[in-house]
Amino acid sequence: MGKTKNLLKVATVIAIMMLLLPAQAFAYLDPGTGSYVIQLLIGAVLGGAFAIKAFWKNIRSFISGITKSKKG
Amino acid sequence: MGIETVPGSFRDPSGFLFYKKNEIFRQINLTYKENYDELMSSGLYDELVEEGLLLSHEEIADEAKKDESIYKIIKPEHLSFISFPYEWCFSQLKDAALATLEIQNKALEHGMILKDASVYNIQFRDCRPVLIDTLSFEKYIEGEPWIAYKQFCQHFLAPLALMKSVDERLSQLFRVYIDGIPLDLASRLLPRKSMLSFSIATHIHLHAKSQKKYADQSVSKKRHAMKKLAMLGLIDNLSSAVRKMKRQIKSTEWGEYYQGTNYADHSFQNKQKLVSDFLDKALNERSKIVWDLGANTGVFSKIASEKGVLTLAFDIDINAVEQNYSSNGTNTDCSVLPLLLDLTNPSPAIGWENKERESLIERGPADTVMALALIHHLAISNNVPLEKLADFFANLSDNLIIEFVPKEDSQVKRLLATREDIFTDYHREGFEKAFKKRFSIIASEPIEKTDRHLYLMTKI
Repeated sequence: MGKTKNLLKVATVIAIMMLLLPAQAFAYLDPGTGSYVIQLLIGAVLGGAFAIKAFWKNIRSFISGITKSKKG
Repeated sequence: MGIETVPGSFRDPSGFLFYKKNEIFRQINLTYKENYDELMSSGLYDELVEEGLLLSHEEIADEAKKDESIYKIIKPEHLSFISFPYEWCFSQLKDAALATLEIQNKALEHGMILKDASVYNIQFRDCRPVLIDTLSFEKYIEGEPWIAYKQFCQHFLAPLALMKSVDERLSQLFRVYIDGIPLDLASRLLPRKSMLSFSIATHIHLHAKSQKKYADQSVSKKRHAMKKLAMLGLIDNLSSAVRKMKRQIKSTEWGEYYQGTNYADHSFQNKQKLVSDFLDKALNERSKIVWDLGANTGVFSKIASEKGVLTLAFDIDINAVEQNYSSNGTNTDCSVLPLLLDLTNPSPAIGWENKERESLIERGPADTVMALALIHHLAISNNVPLEKLADFFANLSDNLIIEFVPKEDSQVKRLLATREDIFTDYHREGFEKAFKKRFSIIASEPIEKTDRHLYLMTKI
């Protein structure tokens, strides 16, 4: 039974990989491992900064919307 | 079907460009079907074309049915000239970088992403950068990194940083490194103070170190996904890094143009009128492109472009190219494309089989070539015999508007001041004799109050 389960697992993994492969077939560029790693690191930092930036932008436009409507 | 594939279009298996009866087409392979359909149906194509960021195309109905691996054949909008980044000034490369990032943002808004960020995919049309590769998009899968991040850094960020912080002439590294400037080289060449910029420190210096550390290693992509927010943050940071890059302009930089020449206002106006008259004779309704060699900041190029033809304003001085390009923003006429070119060593053919990027001459011919106040630089400063000059111009175009600058002219006197005059046949008669071997002289006029003559010639 254990063997069958393992076989099923392997088959499932292969099937998933097969499904994923066509999407990767278009990636004719090599992203490069080093570039990939640094991109993840920078992205993690900048993603947070981008969220804060977007948050403040929303607040600013909300406040300027209120002041404008008051003035109007 | 009698096609000739474009030599530079082979890396991406999604399709390729080919010529048929002198017209250019793009084959889209069946493997790219899903992504092409998404580009067209998501609204991304319409938006990018509307905003002038992507070259438009039309689908050609019948051809695709001849081979089952072909999904579609498209005919992209025609471009009269393809230029390369080693022919661009700083602002052209910067605008190309910003256009690439803007396209990337718009793609992400439509659930797609740029799968490459090659500088060679950008061309200049009507003064503005435009993406010419329709097959650059793929569906965005959240968690996947930007596969073209390394390419963007090598093709845009590193050369821009080098041009800004070290020397603008470093754009010529593109001639050696066809896939962009290696980041370890950029990192070594950049000054230490560049580490103070978060963007340059991370995208170039740390990036180069990471490449070295992880060379020949692999990582599990499943364990390290990149959230969409991180992707947006990355693109936002690259955009602001590029936008902040400004040229180091010396206050007197532009002062010298047309001041060192020996033209009185009257002579200058007379020359402008003669050039305009000769262009009227040389150009016809089929004329599409004029090459102005030694164009300086493009004063005479504009005379040609105002007649409705794309005019390439080539100059050896990167500052002149920069000034010419920057003035485009204030012009209503956008038919001048300023480009950097050393005529004594014009852009060679580079890349795979020496065919991937064409040489300057292979990208000709022009309908008309203008060579104003140029011949003395080539014949005297560069020792090119007049017959060889005639051969060179005859290779470029059927029509030539050329100014002969004699030894009596102060500019030539200046060139001969520090060297022996070995140019015994450098006079009007010698010039005409040499050029008559390749051209018929249609018209020649003296430029008033100068020793110079302007010629209109057609190739024999």
